[in-house]
Amino acid sequence: MMPAALKGSAIKPKLEWPTVAVSVKSVNMVYDGVHAVRSASFDLETGKFLTILGPSGSGKTTLLRLIAGFQRPTSGEIFINGAAVSAVPPHKRSIGMVFQKLALFPHMTAAENVAFPLKMRRSDARAIPARVERYLDMVRLGGYGTRRVHELSGGQQQRVAIARALVFEPDLLLLDEPLAALDRKLREEMQLEFRRIQRELGVTTINVTHDQREALVVSDEIIVMDGGQIQQKARPSETYRTPSNAFVANFIGVTNFLDAPDGERRAIRAEKIRIAPTRNGLVGADTIVEGIVADAIFEGERVVYEVRVASLGDTLLRVFDHDPSAHSQLEPGSAVYLGWTAGDVLEFKP
Amino acid sequence: MTAPLSKTIVLWIFVVAVLVLLSAPTIVILGASFTSGNIITFPPEGFSLKWYEKIATSRDLWDAFLRSLYVSAICTIVAIPVGTLAGIVLAKYAIRFEKSVQIYLLLPFTIPLIGSGIGLMLIFGEARLLGQLWPVGLACCVINLPFMIWAVTASASSLDPDLELAAASCGAPPLSTFLHVTLPAVMPGVISGSLLMFILALNEFLVSLLLTDARIVTLPVQIYNSIRSIITPDLAAISVVFIACAALAIVLLDRLVGLEIFLKSK
Repeated sequence: MMPAALKGSAIKPKLEWPTVAVSVKSVNMVYDGVHAVRSASFDLETGKFLTILGPSGSGKTTLLRLIAGFQRPTSGEIFINGAAVSAVPPHKRSIGMVFQKLALFPHMTAAENVAFPLKMRRSDARAIPARVERYLDMVRLGGYGTRRVHELSGGQQQRVAIARALVFEPDLLLLDEPLAALDRKLREEMQLEFRRIQRELGVTTINVTHDQREALVVSDEIIVMDGGQIQQKARPSETYRTPSNAFVANFIGVTNFLDAPDGERRAIRAEKIRIAPTRNGLVGADTIVEGIVADAIFEGERVVYEVRVASLGDTLLRVFDHDPSAHSQLEPGSAVYLGWTAGDVLEFKP
Repeated sequence: MTAPLSKTIVLWIFVVAVLVLLSAPTIVILGASFTSGNIITFPPEGFSLKWYEKIATSRDLWDAFLRSLYVSAICTIVAIPVGTLAGIVLAKYAIRFEKSVQIYLLLPFTIPLIGSGIGLMLIFGEARLLGQLWPVGLACCVINLPFMIWAVTASASSLDPDLELAAASCGAPPLSTFLHVTLPAVMPGVISGSLLMFILALNEFLVSLLLTDARIVTLPVQIYNSIRSIITPDLAAISVVFIACAALAIVLLDRLVGLEIFLKSK
């Protein structure tokens, strides 16, 4: 995959394209008797946006901190741009990081925060102010440089932290759940902002989050982690459509597990189930079951039903009805029919 | 806020009573220092500044005051690096014997000063340091150091541990991280601790009494010596000078750190 600008030109790309920016090889991390990361291995191509997604305690933050160099892996090796980095202290790695609580220097102004990496990396002192201004402009904080950190709003502080992490043009950008503390609207705004900046600069990025929506929205690739182990690494649409196991299916999206006699686990997404008050409303479905509405939650653009299905061992199936106008909302207690096509059923080996 | 009237009245009576109790000695001494009479009385007879004039022109008092400033300066200069480092270490690292260290930090409240004073007198006597002024400053530092450590620890434990990691990811080696990030972040604690150390050393009486001789008395000892002969209003005037010094320290603290932060850190 060659970038468009190089196609047909006389300039030949370097030996390999794309190159691998980060390579994690059989990394284990054990501390205080806890096996936080278990034989994790993955490669990340230069310029990609990777999200490590998992519940708290899944080892995702530990893995990020190992890459940042704040901890050394118990075993295994991490390569950044081809060089083994386990013995390299964090201040000698070219990694920009945005922390969960931002960790802006409270006694400095916004501009001083952004200038700090340049000073520490001995940039030409005369060039620093212009560079700081450029990066503050990039995060849309032009003119805010003289403000102290505590004089800025939550969203503005986020932007300062991003500018500080990027101003020295690091090889790698790490995001440690920096959006977790924001309210939903600001969080979604900042997700798009991260994506815009990352595309503009083309910096390889690893983002850690427990927010499945964020992972789907911002990433080129998603790694799902659980119990210290990588469960799946795939593009967002692939992760969603073909989850590699029951955990991934359950963690991303709303999934109903259907009891299967043959030992395999079968599941179906809530939005793949159709619901109708009569059998006639489900033309084309391969499987049709009867159920009783246990609960109906009106969410505006859709109605979420919980339907008790006796033929499936009395399980509650969650169903998204995205076209509530097709029939009037079904009340709890009413008998309904659920249907789906065989191709939408996910199957997992036990 | 619609507390019943009786409750409000009772509350206010308590508040006023506490304020009067706390400020009574200061008000009495302040009034007494302006008397125009020759004996210390409250309320004062008339108004004059003659006792201030007297202490301002007294050679002995000036010398004692300068010696006290010298002792306080020594105490503070030693306390700043030692207390700051100790405070940061205590707050940041899970050290062994942490419980024992915490108990040690309670010593100034539990061991009577006369005990530590005599101990220090023996040590300094053995080392042939008695009769000089700087050991007095050192002694004040040893005795009051826990206050300094507390002030710094309070600042350091509210520090986000990620700050130092952030500095590292910005490319700062450990020493730069300490100088540019850790130290400025605990500065409020260092400033309040230093002012506290300075004032405590300035007011220190018992230890000075044990460690000084007649040639090098500090101001509190000088005052004590005067009381033994005759109590005159110039002592009230000196006390007012002490109060003014403490007030100055509080103003400085407010300007440099903010009193709110100082009170919260306790």
